[in-house]
Amino acid sequence: MQATETLLYNRAGQKIVSPDYLLFEAPRAKHFMTGSEAVKEAVRRASVDASVSYPITPQSEAAHLIGELWAEGYVGVYFRGESEFGVMSEVAGCAMAGARTITTTSGPGTLRAMENFPMWAGTRIPVQLVLMARGINSPLSIQPDNLEVGFLLDTGCMIWYAETAQDLFDMILAGFTVAEQPDVHVPVINVIDGFFVSHTREAIMLPPDDIALPPYNPYKAPMPVIDAEVPPGRFLRDPFVMKSNYISYATHASWQWEVRAAIERSRPYAKHYLRGLIELFGNPEAELVFVACGTASAQAKEAVRLLEDEGIPAKVVKLKTIRPFPIEELRESVKGAKYIFVPEFNVVGWLEREVRRYLYGHSNAEIIGAPRVAGGMTMPAEAIVKEVLKLTGKEVKHVI
Amino acid sequence: MAHIGQSGYSPYPVAVYEGILTPPPGKALIFNEIVDEDIAMREAAKAMLTRQNPTIFPGPQVLYAWNEEAKEKAKLVRKMAEVLGAKIIPMYDYRPKYPKINPSVEINPNHPNLTIWHNKIKACIFVGVHCHYANVALKIIRAETDCFTIAMCSMAGHEDAMITLRDQHAEDMERFIKIAEEVKRELKQY
Amino acid sequence: MSYNIYEINEDLKEFIPKEIVDLQERATWGNPKRGVMDLPYSKELVEEHSLCAGCPESAALRYILASLPNPEDTIIVNSTGCTSLVFPHIALHTVHSLFGNQNAVASGIKRVLEIRFPDKVKDVVVLAGDGATVDIGLDCTLQSFFRQERITTICFDNEVYANTGGQESGLTVKGYVFKMAPKGKQFDKVPMWQLAIDSGCHYVARLTVSSPKRVEQVIKKAIYVAREVGPTYVHLYTPCILEIGLNSDDGLEEMRNRDKERFAFFEYMTPHAEEVINKVKEECLL
Repeated sequence: MQATETLLYNRAGQKIVSPDYLLFEAPRAKHFMTGSEAVKEAVRRASVDASVSYPITPQSEAAHLIGELWAEGYVGVYFRGESEFGVMSEVAGCAMAGARTITTTSGPGTLRAMENFPMWAGTRIPVQLVLMARGINSPLSIQPDNLEVGFLLDTGCMIWYAETAQDLFDMILAGFTVAEQPDVHVPVINVIDGFFVSHTREAIMLPPDDIALPPYNPYKAPMPVIDAEVPPGRFLRDPFVMKSNYISYATHASWQWEVRAAIERSRPYAKHYLRGLIELFGNPEAELVFVACGTASAQAKEAVRLLEDEGIPAKVVKLKTIRPFPIEELRESVKGAKYIFVPEFNVVGWLEREVRRYLYGHSNAEIIGAPRVAGGMTMPAEAIVKEVLKLTGKEVKHVI
Repeated sequence: MAHIGQSGYSPYPVAVYEGILTPPPGKALIFNEIVDEDIAMREAAKAMLTRQNPTIFPGPQVLYAWNEEAKEKAKLVRKMAEVLGAKIIPMYDYRPKYPKINPSVEINPNHPNLTIWHNKIKACIFVGVHCHYANVALKIIRAETDCFTIAMCSMAGHEDAMITLRDQHAEDMERFIKIAEEVKRELKQY
Repeated sequence: MSYNIYEINEDLKEFIPKEIVDLQERATWGNPKRGVMDLPYSKELVEEHSLCAGCPESAALRYILASLPNPEDTIIVNSTGCTSLVFPHIALHTVHSLFGNQNAVASGIKRVLEIRFPDKVKDVVVLAGDGATVDIGLDCTLQSFFRQERITTICFDNEVYANTGGQESGLTVKGYVFKMAPKGKQFDKVPMWQLAIDSGCHYVARLTVSSPKRVEQVIKKAIYVAREVGPTYVHLYTPCILEIGLNSDDGLEEMRNRDKERFAFFEYMTPHAEEVINKVKEECLL
């Protein structure tokens, strides 16, 4: 127990290297692949113990590819579950029993599974969920739309948002590393916009595939692992706490605070392994700022280029983490801002709400929740520029 | 403690919402200050030696003989109690206990305040308690008692304790015992 | 075996309450021949709990825990309901996750323990009520059977949602009046034991807990078969004396009466399961 012997090779015979080496130092070669394939390449290098899958567009391919890794011996346990509710419970079982565990889902699957996410956080398992966002019913849509992320914000899981396949690859590896820190040890949900990232090919830099993350050590978990090898022998994960002395309602309150505290503790680790919780693009002095995540930030970057051509300085604050929310980083980066646009791929504007909440009293800028597209609409850079021009009244030639 | 914001309206103030995180490796935490481990150990010893009814709360990871380190740590807990003149009250498991605990001989993470109130404990050390349960209990203690809490954690520490020592293994406990002996001698001189 | 997680360090033993010291010294660890006959003489694996006085479910739990052949390496997975009041007091690694997902969680645990401990036997046993097993959790229950998960599923059938105040369940008998069935239940009791057979269980038994020895036999068979072959299912009648208007000393008689009718002892096994059971019998473990 509490094994301290250093392992040289993992289950698949890959050489074990430190997360820092794998993420920052190992030589990288250029590949051309989809986001789903990037998931496979990340999982291949992550010494993953278990994965459970269920079909739903657009995440199915990523789930198939993890299955292939299982067939090739890179992943210890893999099967298709009965539904997303079942799958998320199965991965919970895997993680409680001491496995590094990953699964994937999308849209209606996320909502089907919903009851599990706060349970994951409450029972302190560092499960990783790759969420390939799509629309949720009704009406049925398989198109990209990230409304579902708004539902996940307060589940007690960390939520990171990848813009590209490259981001996703790096975030999956960083995700395990950060989520498994003993003082963090809550689930991490890595979000991408379905199709835009999952199904498009892009250039991506990968380290060699004969090296991998150190395996998960469940004996560093903040809760006893369910394997009958750790005291206390009498252990229920997790009990109906208020039945102790009939006064321990305090436990539930404290427990929930502890889960949120765990997310806060992830900040320094995430800053290191993600190279900051935000990324800045464009003119640092610009008074026009786009705050966005995922594909919306990619499109906002394009809009910044168009605006630059027109002599309007602008910048993008791309949020890499939503939970924890990069509060200080955001406040710092919009100090000189007069206008803050929050472009989003959903109708409700959950990111705008977050931005308003954390900038309240910290910025005099006007916050504009636009443009907002949904249900599979794309967000051309020109549409973003058009929103800006509505405000400035300036005419620009190449805008629709 | 918090006056405003989320944790301020909760009966259980949470240190991280006041910007306090676990200490970096090699360091310790006294309230909100990152300090050298030796300084924290001295302050911890002083708290235990000068406050009323100091008590060590050993958890399952040191109570049970499940590995060699645990056996060694159990001996050291005993020695630590002798040097500090502290009582030992075990947190032998984490279950909500039915119908109730006996606060004079046991502590439970679901209502650690009961044991602290009953025994009028003004300083305590958590050792060998799994991090999640230590954190749940330390938040309740901070909210409900005036007990000075010290966490000797083998992982990353506990910002909700008043003094946090991280990565504590047998050799660190030995060092703490030595420092406690020194502090005890110094205190006697006055 | 993992008995050492119950062994208290000598240096700290004097501070540990008797009930915990007894677990180390007087419980039956490392002895697959343990059984209900040890109950009066050994430390039980369940402490004081808050079920109603005379509840047959508490008797069932005591018999089951006394019968586990490998308690030091047994994981219990349970669900929400009256039984969740007992689980914190069980001296084993136990999981309560959500209402109805117990067989899914157990599947994950079993599969991971198989790869983490390839040289050890780790039994995974699901204990849940009729609502959890047959209503809200039916999908997870049956799918774990379809997938041939090597776990034992034990259903405490009290024919009602008791913990929430007495509502009709799928296992309520047709015509019985409960809350949410004010005109009496409109459809038949779900024949879960038959569904278990049709869904691929290798050993299935239906019984009341009126006979401790019979419970022991059934539990042991179910666990040995799950270990070697595949899913097993045990359906126990544990009447809710409160909800059917009986006194706390009426539970046993109620079960004896049902032994003669809808809970008459029934046992099914596949040929492969029978082989395993015969082998275990030869080893004098049954």
